[in-house]
Amino acid sequence: MIETRATVLENVRIAENIYSLTFATEQPVPVRPGQFCMLGVTGFPLRRPLAICMAEGERITVCYQVKGRGTEMLARGYQRGHTIPVLLPLGNGFFVRQEEKKVAVVGGGVGVFPLVSVIRAYAQEKEIFSYVGFRTRAAVCMQYELQRSKELTVTTDDGSFGKRGTAVQALMENIGRVKPDVILSCGPLPMLRALKNAVGGKIPAFVSLEERMGCGVGACLVCVCSLSGGAHARVCKDGPVFDLTEVDLNG
Amino acid sequence: MADLRVTLLGTELKNPVIPASGTFGFGREFAELYDISMLGAVATKGLTLEPRAGNPTPRIAESRGVILNAVGLQNPGVRHFIEEDLAWLREKTKVIANVAGKDVEEYGKICALLDGKVDFIELNISCPNVKCGGMAFGIRPESIENVTWVAKNALKTTPLIVKLSPNVESIAENARAAERGGADALSLVNTFTGMAIDIERRRPILANNTGGVSGAGIKPIAVRMVLEAAHAVKIPVIGMGGITCAEDAIEFMMAGACAVEVGTQNFTDALACPKIIADLGAWCDAHGVERIRDLIGAARMNG
Ligand SMILES: Cc1cc2nc3c(=O)[nH]c(=O)nc-3n(C[C@H](O)[C@H](O)[C@H](O)COP(=O)(O)OP(=O)(O)OC[C@H]3O[C@@H](n4cnc5c(N)ncnc54)[C@H](O)[C@@H]3O)c2cc1C
Ligand SMILES: Cc1cc2nc3c(=O)[nH]c(=O)nc-3n(C[C@H](O)[C@H](O)[C@H](O)COP(=O)(O)O)c2cc1C
Ligand code: FES
Repeated sequence: MIETRATVLENVRIAENIYSLTFATEQPVPVRPGQFCMLGVTGFPLRRPLAICMAEGERITVCYQVKGRGTEMLARGYQRGHTIPVLLPLGNGFFVRQEEKKVAVVGGGVGVFPLVSVIRAYAQEKEIFSYVGFRTRAAVCMQYELQRSKELTVTTDDGSFGKRGTAVQALMENIGRVKPDVILSCGPLPMLRALKNAVGGKIPAFVSLEERMGCGVGACLVCVCSLSGGAHARVCKDGPVFDLTEVDLNG
Repeated sequence: MADLRVTLLGTELKNPVIPASGTFGFGREFAELYDISMLGAVATKGLTLEPRAGNPTPRIAESRGVILNAVGLQNPGVRHFIEEDLAWLREKTKVIANVAGKDVEEYGKICALLDGKVDFIELNISCPNVKCGGMAFGIRPESIENVTWVAKNALKTTPLIVKLSPNVESIAENARAAERGGADALSLVNTFTGMAIDIERRRPILANNTGGVSGAGIKPIAVRMVLEAAHAVKIPVIGMGGITCAEDAIEFMMAGACAVEVGTQNFTDALACPKIIADLGAWCDAHGVERIRDLIGAARMNG
């Protein structure tokens, strides 16, 4: 984990309201798939947590949706050559065990970004079956990276691209044939709940959660989620990836 | 290089910079980023007698130049801290144990458990995020004097710092109340009670509705309050509220603070404290200040 002044290499729009930001850190950073970083935007006291999509040495790419004022500033105010403070790599990330050969990846919306790092990391040694859902055609992105999967199904809510429906529906239409050893997922809470209802406890599944953060390193306890037993876990340090059966998604 | 040492109640601190309670845990996480033994002291997360689960999330929100938090004192309990974290932390630097009770009696019990084991106790009598405790003690002078007296009587050796709430009518009166109760020092300010509303959802962002406001935007109010408190009492004062850089820290010292705590800025920049320490030295050198302690209370009022 380091705090570094990164240099922006590229910050470009890749889909409706979605940008891809590539920066160079001051030193190479070893990143596991599913880890994230905290980006400092000038003028904003809180850093923005963003999943690390791609990491090669000191070259890191994150992709973000413009939602509020901070990400809007990120999209408008940062160009090649600008510096940006970054804390990384953070969190536990996704793990795939040696014996797990078939990996199903289930992503919704901005949830595809941490999954891109999974696909990049494991495309060679595993069979990856990806099911990713977007709202509509204009939001579809990361096609090139997602196509490293052995099989890719893209869905849209309105049917304007790929199959009409959701990523979880697409998973369930294929699960009997594919028989994944493990499912890795990230997306909005309703999607994660649907996943839990569909496969919870039957197939090992791990999900990456989002929560508002302060420190990003596990010290301030603002980012907690509930575990099934009632205990609290820190999304930034104990997560963001949790066992689907252990995490309480009703909060 | 300027002398950055300051003395707090007979204990020497390497420098006046202390990460503020609740923003730094017990130091372990930040120790992965830098050597925390460079800090003047560490103020721990607020400790309660029994473990506390805290509030539902979201627990944090942002507004222009400030943040709001409502953690609700989640912590593993004072005994767990003593057994698991204290020895490690004390090896690194001076330890200020921040404590909060659910009633007056509990403040006394926690203090008794920590007595002699930490360098200082900081009484959090002003947490705005806990329904049944905290704030109630922190707003009226009589209750401040009372809870301070109970805590002080539970302590044989460890000096007592009382942390004041800014959500009050007269900070000077409350400062004097703590002094009368037997406080050895004061620290201020804790957070201001506030609210941020998500206008799309037409609901407060924080699950707790209200939260404590901290960060750069509260600094001028905090500086004024630190000065008023320092003028009102004879005991030393630790200043905080919106410190982001060495110049901010110096402002608090000139207002009368003998040391400073840095909270929200640890989120904005994980290396905030080391940077402030380095820059304090550079500022003193550039301004011909040989001992930083000479700046304490150095601001003279106009007219
Ligand atoms: C571990 C993790 C990884 C993430 N990865 C991505 C990603 O790869 N791509 C992407 O587009 N988004 C991602 N998010 C969500 C992203 O952090 C928020 O969309 C972003 O912080 C919103 O900031 P803003 O300035 O647009 O909104 P504002 O409303 O101005 O934000 C105000 C505050 O709330 C926080 N906040 C608001 N929404 C969220 C949220 N959904 N999750 C966490 N904090 C929030 C902000 O960080 C900021 O502190 C991730 C979140 C987490 C926790
Ligand atoms: C997330 C968070 C948690 C806090 N928890 C505590 C606490 O447990 N006890 C306490 O006395 N103050 C707590 N505080 C208040 C800070 O210690 C400090 O008084 C306040 O934030 C003002 O300083 P700042 O503007 O530098 O952050 C907390 C503040 C934040 C932001
Ligand atoms: S953000 Fe501070 S503990 Fe997770």
